Amino acid sequence: MTGTTARTTNRALDLSTGVGAAYAARMLAEVGWDVVKVEPPSGDPLRDEESRWGSGRGGAFAFANYGKRGIVADESQILELARAAHVVLGDFSPSGCHDSQISAGMFAALEPRRAVVSVSAFGLTGPRANWASSDMIVQAASGLMFLTGEADQPPMQLPPYAAAVTGGLAGAAAALAASRSAAVDGRVRRVDVSMMEAMATHTYGQTTNYVYNGEVARREQSVKQALRMVPASDRFVYCAPGAVANVDMRGVAVLLDEPRLTEDRFQTAEGRMQNYQEYLDLFVPPFQRKTAQEWFEEAERLHLTFSLVQTVDDLFACPQVAARESLRQVTAPDGRVVAMPGRPFRMEGGPPEALRPWPAHPGEHTEEVLKEWLVSV
Amino acid sequence: MDRPLEGIRVLSMEQAVALPFATRHLADLGAEVIRVESHARARPPTLTETDLVRNKLRWGLDLGVEGAADLFRRVAANVDIVAHNFTPRVMRKFGIDFEPIRAINPDVIYLSLTGFGTTGPWGERPLFGPGAEAVSGHNVMIGEPDAWPGRPGTIVYADNNTGLNALVAILAALDHRDATGEAVHIDLSLYEAGIAHIGAAVTERAFGGGLPERMGNGDPRYLVHDVFDAQGTDRHVAIAAREDDSAALARALELTEVTRDAVAAAVAGRTAEDVAETLQHAGVAAYIVSDPSDQSLDPHLWARGFFGLLGDEEAHPHHGPAFGGGIDLELSPARAVGQDSRYVMSSIGGLTDEEIAAAEEVGSTGAAPNRGPAVRPPTTPEQYAIRLERGELSRVDEVHDRWREVSS
Repeated sequence: MTGTTARTTNRALDLSTGVGAAYAARMLAEVGWDVVKVEPPSGDPLRDEESRWGSGRGGAFAFANYGKRGIVADESQILELARAAHVVLGDFSPSGCHDSQISAGMFAALEPRRAVVSVSAFGLTGPRANWASSDMIVQAASGLMFLTGEADQPPMQLPPYAAAVTGGLAGAAAALAASRSAAVDGRVRRVDVSMMEAMATHTYGQTTNYVYNGEVARREQSVKQALRMVPASDRFVYCAPGAVANVDMRGVAVLLDEPRLTEDRFQTAEGRMQNYQEYLDLFVPPFQRKTAQEWFEEAERLHLTFSLVQTVDDLFACPQVAARESLRQVTAPDGRVVAMPGRPFRMEGGPPEALRPWPAHPGEHTEEVLKEWLVSV
Repeated sequence: MDRPLEGIRVLSMEQAVALPFATRHLADLGAEVIRVESHARARPPTLTETDLVRNKLRWGLDLGVEGAADLFRRVAANVDIVAHNFTPRVMRKFGIDFEPIRAINPDVIYLSLTGFGTTGPWGERPLFGPGAEAVSGHNVMIGEPDAWPGRPGTIVYADNNTGLNALVAILAALDHRDATGEAVHIDLSLYEAGIAHIGAAVTERAFGGGLPERMGNGDPRYLVHDVFDAQGTDRHVAIAAREDDSAALARALELTEVTRDAVAAAVAGRTAEDVAETLQHAGVAAYIVSDPSDQSLDPHLWARGFFGLLGDEEAHPHHGPAFGGGIDLELSPARAVGQDSRYVMSSIGGLTDEEIAAAEEVGSTGAAPNRGPAVRPPTTPEQYAIRLERGELSRVDEVHDRWREVSS
């Protein structure tokens, strides 16, 4: 990674608790910014959060705050640090103010050099700006949850922090874009990112169909869903775009050694749906003959785009992940070595990636940061 | 936020969704985005293309024809950003991968958006967004515990998330280039963006947490965390209440005990909207499980100016950028494939009229005027009829009146 040291490093002040704005700030750390996280003296409550599946305490905090220095500061110091920062990030909604040292007026009052960026569940304006939220609630509000799951079941939630991470990415993009504008004319930008809107971008296709055609898309039928992922002998393999896509089945017929799949009636989505049970009986059982990995390799040889259905543990063992070091081996402050996702893109040239782990405890870097940042004001 | 990318030129050899979604945002931010696609193989556009190609110039280029790659390089020499989402092999084959482009454009920002990245044992494999969700670990976490793996409810989920990562990487690379004059090659994959998107769950597992698997809508860290059936067909309300919300939840729904069943009984027969409003009034997190009609009518989204209006004959609401309002969103309708071919080649590539005519003559470039951005249903009539019959779609009357009412 070729970083440059000649130019001034941009500074970001992260006043948030939780994942959304924190992930935006972490992305800035991953593109060479000096990012400082301010925590209340008792620490970000996320430090104590366990996984939805039990244990794993603090994993989400470590992930969202990788690459930052951590400090504890009082309000007057926060105001001063904000002036020394290029960008300040936080969740300036009522719930965002609840756990942190942010007050609602700070969004308009803070005077960093370039931008104040809020990442909150519903944004800071509009009739529902003060509504209570959780990640699942934002997923429901965004339109994505309604479409997730099977037709005969209720809508389903996505993996943890789906809305917060999406909102965080949007917040990082907003911070960089706003910073660019402000660098030109010196006017501080205030950007109000809503996780709900960031997540709603996933459903623009369905919303567009509704406003043009009056169609309300619903969850897929299990058959269609299932035919994207079929059980192989050991685990599921991701095999095709499913029954409704207009794909030719002749390649699959060769792969599965099932000539009947070459019949004309199975070559179109309509045909497969009209002859669904017969199609299912021909298509699904042969996958039992081999492992998912074997099907993945054979499909590649026939130029069929298959994929695997992996668990988190599979990621830890994946040869592609290992070859590209997609998971960083990080020595945690307590000495443990853990594998966690690094910068999600590689760069040849470009800014350096984050080089330090998350702050071990609130205020770990208070002294050095106050000295560095406040001296230069 | 105005238009911070005014004056930035992007040459994007793009297909499907991930890269078009990223460059749509670059265009929203003021960049001049040139979408490169084959005019010879142009297909009738889908409805959602209206969003993905809005505000973009369109250059018809058939790289399979001799001389076309040279045209690409002529234009690529005079832009700030070159981007593609093809396999690494395709770009190498035409001599338009990073090194040859850097040779003619020394401070280029070059984005390779691929399935698995440009290196590693899977580096040459193709991958689509839905397969990326599966392989990066999302699908095993979606659905009921005893069901087969589920998937995010739209086929663009991994694509869009990867597109947002592309946006961050490009904006950071632009700052870097402006400060140093250095070229940057961004190597971004659907796979790694997908892993990062569930990075909290991955890190929790690395910290000794339980193996992430399907858990329906449950979350043991909450007192109530689920989706409840409300009045009407396929109407639901999502509720997430922590232990300290218990009293407020009980009061708001008049419960004698706070259990999942008691909440379900209290919600049944009431509208999702009523339950959500009632609970939010009491400070408990709840929202209707918003369907596509709810989305385009959502009063909160309208009040915040999230939608822009776009259309040839009558304007329809379209989504703003992922970071929401705050920029002056000027939506220009989708242009036809190749509509801007001559402009791109002469004004940006510096080609003479004679050179352009010769290229058109051999078919390496051109336009497909009959493949314009007509609006059509997303499926064939037969598919549509079957999907209606199966209950996968429903028909809502007076749709236009409804959203006009909201927008006025």
